[in-house]
Amino acid sequence: MTDLADNSAKRLAPSGFLEFARRHRTLLAALFLLVFPLLVPFKALAVNILIYGLYALGFNLLFGYLGLLSFGHSALFGAGAYICGILMVHVGMPWWAGVLLGCVAGAAMAAIIGTFAIRTSGIYFAMVTLALSQCIYYVFYQATGLTGGENGLRGVNVEMISIFGLRLNFVDPLTRYYVVAAFVIVALWILSRILASPFGAVIESVRENEARARASGYDVRRVRLVTFILSGAFCGLAGALQAIHLSIVPIELMHYETSGLVVMMALLGGMGTFFGPFVGAAVFLLLENLVSLWTVHWQLFVGAVFVVCVLFFPRGIWGSILHAMEKK
Amino acid sequence: MTDHKMSLTRRRLLGTVGAAAAVSPFAINIVRAQESKIKIGFPVPLTGPYGAEAEDQVRAAQVAIAEFNEAGGLAGRMAELLVRDDKLNPGEAATRTLELIENDKVNFIVGSLSAAVQLAVNNVTKQRKVIFNSISQSDAINEVADFSPYTFHEALNPHMTAGAVGRYAFQKFGKKVVFLTADYAYGTEMVTGFREAGKAFNIEVMGDIRHPIGATDFSTLLPRIQAMKPDILCISNFGRDQQIALKQATDFGMKKQMKIIAPILLYTGRIAAGEAAFEGVIGGTSYYWGIENKIASAKAFNDRFRKMFAGKVPSDYGSLAYGGVKTLLMGAKNAGSTDAEKVIPAVEALKYDYYKGPQYYRKCDHQSVQSVFIIESKTAPKDNPTDVFNVIAIDEPNEANLRSCEVLGHKA
Repeated sequence: MTDLADNSAKRLAPSGFLEFARRHRTLLAALFLLVFPLLVPFKALAVNILIYGLYALGFNLLFGYLGLLSFGHSALFGAGAYICGILMVHVGMPWWAGVLLGCVAGAAMAAIIGTFAIRTSGIYFAMVTLALSQCIYYVFYQATGLTGGENGLRGVNVEMISIFGLRLNFVDPLTRYYVVAAFVIVALWILSRILASPFGAVIESVRENEARARASGYDVRRVRLVTFILSGAFCGLAGALQAIHLSIVPIELMHYETSGLVVMMALLGGMGTFFGPFVGAAVFLLLENLVSLWTVHWQLFVGAVFVVCVLFFPRGIWGSILHAMEKK
Repeated sequence: MTDHKMSLTRRRLLGTVGAAAAVSPFAINIVRAQESKIKIGFPVPLTGPYGAEAEDQVRAAQVAIAEFNEAGGLAGRMAELLVRDDKLNPGEAATRTLELIENDKVNFIVGSLSAAVQLAVNNVTKQRKVIFNSISQSDAINEVADFSPYTFHEALNPHMTAGAVGRYAFQKFGKKVVFLTADYAYGTEMVTGFREAGKAFNIEVMGDIRHPIGATDFSTLLPRIQAMKPDILCISNFGRDQQIALKQATDFGMKKQMKIIAPILLYTGRIAAGEAAFEGVIGGTSYYWGIENKIASAKAFNDRFRKMFAGKVPSDYGSLAYGGVKTLLMGAKNAGSTDAEKVIPAVEALKYDYYKGPQYYRKCDHQSVQSVFIIESKTAPKDNPTDVFNVIAIDEPNEANLRSCEVLGHKA
């Protein structure tokens, strides 16, 4: 846990390219995302990686930077997806309003869960978030009229969209990718700003030494709650984008497996690094898709990769790469 | 003026390129590309609890593909099956369907083994105007909100299945009924089907007990049911839940007190759980290989399946894949095209008997009108361990057994 942070003391010592990359991480990430669909077997997978990458980034804000392990993030992701879907299907809202309110719904859900959960920490925090997310899963499961229940919510269809007078066909895979990528890039920029702000430093100080942060005059509980809510907003946005991408919201999105998945992605990529969870999501989804094409035992393979990562690269894939570059 | 000039030049340029392409060897490639293979995307849950069923679906679909290709295809165009693992997850199924449509440019999609998965696939295909033939049970897919002209449903739906079993059981075994149901879409839709069918027989529902999906212990529920003293216990759950519930009910001696019925008796489930648990239980099925001595098309299908897969017989859900793939391919053949707008009327016009007796798609919701077989589990003879059911009745294909088009919300 000691050298998780890429914006720790080393930020003060400029070291050529690495320093440049750190300063302009959003710009570089954005440039990478522009060419990304060319590197992936099919576009729908590229969009999924964007969405789960954003979900993992939002999760990492809480896990990697604040140091709280939540097992209930599926509720935030799912709330964003369902609220976006319900507003579009049952209220007839335009897609952009659905996406924005999905983001708000993620934050609101985080405020509810957070209010109860931040009173605890460690394993108790994980258990409380898990329990509350299961309650919320059940509420959405039973509200068949609104959510479709077991069958899932269908009909979150977005076809022609117009952005500032520009007419785009959202059904076209590449257009869909770039529209989603635009949201993700803006979110990346906001996240980067938050982490680079004084508040970002406070978040990390709470992780490193709670007592000292309190002694310095920071309201630790409020910092935790605000971080949880911000994390919820990012996850809610990811959920809303998932809803318009697949045009359905399956109940599985709220299942605790979705919470476990994001923990795995963050660990695989490198928690506490800015871009690590995104890399983790990409590696996981690519492996799952490629391996499952030639064997039904893909879980064995992905599991083995995960075990190797945890045992030999505890910093995660991205964390290990950063560490190796810093050593040079 | 300049614009006009530019567009003229561009047009001329395009014309030249077009002409050049037409006389060059590339022209042949263009024509060939149009006559490429007919691709059928096939998302099924190869991983997960229904993996064995999904593998059988793939086998049966391959039989349909092989037969089509041997018969010369569509004027020389051969068919090809693109199997994808949907992992029994609607989100994954939607992603895989997008891949099949956008990347592999499939002509049709056939598949799914869950209500939620088929509705997810259907939402993706109908938006992109690609024909989808669903081969697992759902009532919702017939309803106007989910239906589209591109949606076909080769499988039975819970209303038909439960209705057929109910009509058989309620007049034979009594009117006092207790339901034991897995609390999710499949179970609740089945109970609704039984209750609808029961109205005509004035059944008395003495209890409607729900258990969570994936239950392993029914011992607290079964004595309650025994105390109610019903004539019929109707168990609506699936897969492993069904096997455990039947085994425990047998251990409690309930078969001596009441008749146990189930909307669907799975062939693979019966083989896995053994004869004792299923002994004497009555249920429905879309297909059982044993009908081959009565139905010629079943005999032909079974023989072909045995030949291709080392003597195996097709399962119920597997066979649906054969029907689902075959109807679309025959529709394309009759239409002389894979263009969805031409294939849809051709499939609607089919009156087919491919493996289980006469069938056709109802015009308003594209539900396959077909027979339901009422089967009773038995001890398999020593020389044939696959002979596990007796077909005791056949609910003949009849539109009256479906929910009416008006009820589903379709305009007449």
